[in-house]
Amino acid sequence: MDSLILDAVSVLSTAGWLFIVSAGLTLVFGAMRLINVAHGSFYMLGGFLMTSLAASSAGIRFWWALALATLVVAVLGALLEVTILRRIYQKDHLVQLVATFAMMLIIADVAKTIWGSRARTVDAPAAVDGTLTVGGASFPTYRLVIIAAAVLVAVALWVMLTKTALGWRTRAAVEDPELLSSSGTNLTLLRTGTFALGAALAAFAGAVVSPQLAVAPGSDTSIIVAAFIVTVIGGLGSIPGAAIGALVIGLAQTIGTSVAPSWAATSIYLAMILVLAVRPSGLLGVAER
Amino acid sequence: MRRTARLAVLAMVAAITTAGCGYGDDGDSGGEDGEIKVGISTTLTGSLGDIGNGGRNGIELALADLNADGGVLGEQVSLVAQDDDLDPARGGENARSMIVEDDVKAIFGPVASSIAASEEAVADEFQVPIFFFSSNSAALLNDTFTEYAFQVVPNTVMEPRAVAAYLAEKSQGTTVRIGTFAPDYSFGHDSVDGFLAALDALDVDYEVVSQQFPALDDPNIGPALNDLVAASPDYVYNAQYGNDLVTFTKQASQFNFFDKTTLIAMFGVKELEALGDGVPPGTVAFNRAPFWSLGQEATDFVTRYQAEYDELPSEWALLAYTAVQAWAEGVEEAGTFDGEPVSDALSGATVSTIRGDITFRECDHQAEVSEYLGELADKPDPEYGVPLWTAGSEFEATFDEISDPC
Repeated sequence: MDSLILDAVSVLSTAGWLFIVSAGLTLVFGAMRLINVAHGSFYMLGGFLMTSLAASSAGIRFWWALALATLVVAVLGALLEVTILRRIYQKDHLVQLVATFAMMLIIADVAKTIWGSRARTVDAPAAVDGTLTVGGASFPTYRLVIIAAAVLVAVALWVMLTKTALGWRTRAAVEDPELLSSSGTNLTLLRTGTFALGAALAAFAGAVVSPQLAVAPGSDTSIIVAAFIVTVIGGLGSIPGAAIGALVIGLAQTIGTSVAPSWAATSIYLAMILVLAVRPSGLLGVAER
Repeated sequence: MRRTARLAVLAMVAAITTAGCGYGDDGDSGGEDGEIKVGISTTLTGSLGDIGNGGRNGIELALADLNADGGVLGEQVSLVAQDDDLDPARGGENARSMIVEDDVKAIFGPVASSIAASEEAVADEFQVPIFFFSSNSAALLNDTFTEYAFQVVPNTVMEPRAVAAYLAEKSQGTTVRIGTFAPDYSFGHDSVDGFLAALDALDVDYEVVSQQFPALDDPNIGPALNDLVAASPDYVYNAQYGNDLVTFTKQASQFNFFDKTTLIAMFGVKELEALGDGVPPGTVAFNRAPFWSLGQEATDFVTRYQAEYDELPSEWALLAYTAVQAWAEGVEEAGTFDGEPVSDALSGATVSTIRGDITFRECDHQAEVSEYLGELADKPDPEYGVPLWTAGSEFEATFDEISDPC
């Protein structure tokens, strides 16, 4: 029972973290048909900003730093959309891929100039630091923060996309952009906002997970690989798919670690191959016409 | 596969390629026409970039010191540096281009042993001395040995044996529960296998309660960590390094794991700086070149390094410095920059370095150096700002105790 609770918390916190970062990636693709390789850069910037804000002598409280880091990256995302990305929406996916790949390289160099090449860490707030014991199982309290953050993001995205006019417009931007534009919706602004939201989600993920790991150069590329696996499994463009994909990865890693630790790292790729073999568009994805 | 999914996988492959670490050639080429050049091809960007840059800085400082003293054979020496992208093929290409196009007289090797093997083959082809100061696979001087290769760092056989020797002394005949945690590639597996074999050889009474091999550079270690924590080992031998070790320590600390378990890991200056006050008390560090244990010249080096780079040097920087010193002494002894006489001069020779005299064993060119362990202090050292080892806790495993005979 102890290990079951421990594994459940581990699966959910892993899935929660991956869901938040993948939700931004899949949201941008779903609403804009843009494959954003630079998504991991926003994640990395979120972490680095946390090290500067929460761990600095300025003494900004952790939660304010979390909000500020997310906001700063959202603004940066909007700027990049306005200055670069809106020029390539009508281009082939491959052009978009190359352009965002270049953005990733540039952001990595800028980040290295600002924060250097050494790793940094952030301490969790005292209230959620340490260990919690439930049903005989002890686990880091902070894992619950990550799970709660993922639930919060999932609910907020669900409400926004299904219960508001903004969500309806976001979905319609892909289905019939001309009709949407003729109905008075500012399509340009809508796309800028969507991209900024995607960047914010990546930054939020990087910031919220920062007390658990080394914040360092290279985290942009390692997280984008994981995020792509999640979105490919769940189906590009599907937020619920991202949640399922993240859970699949969390389960695959946990089961893999229990059954064959040496092969645990391989298990997530195996899961992806299996899903693609059975359903090439991902579990909840729709084939692009 | 549908088109978008196919493109997403393509994007992922591109990211994986980049995730190797680098983002391309750093293009940092020093030197002017007419000067003697040496080269370093290592990982300068990405998650291992900090290690590679430390080594490059150490080489630059060593060359600056040599040049200030009149150079090598009266010639000023400059550095050509290239990024290997953590890619063995790229490392080999770099070595080739530095030799053919830049006419480097020596190469200083990379972070990863797989890339070192690639560079070693090129060095052998062109008869150019190559010095390894970070990568430490024993295979580099056994399976792929060339007379032009030299290793100034304890190898993958020696290091885990040193940890086993320390544990043998600490366990005092009692049964110890061991957990291992190592990156899932040849270095991690070799280290763990070597550690357990050394425990057997030393007749340590132990039980392995958990063995975990998370992927290199993967922050998602939760499931592997759960298993390790649940096994309640007395000691954890952790063969991770750099960011991976920092992530492990952060997450394991949140389990209060170190209340009952002693961590033995390769904590260097950079990991300790990153962790700040998050270093678990009582943790045992093993280190290939702790400057605080190597004498006055090593601490003088630290002072000069800090003045130049405004940061503490990593052990990789110190080891890189010694590699340059060894090459320069070989050149002076041979009276030429040509590879073959320089290699002949260094084989079996004893050279003076900032860590003291070191001898390159004639049969395989492994430097006869010790590995060091010590218990980390519970507060930062007032001079250096990171926790060093508590007084009396240092354990030196000498070359004779931990090396394989030729």
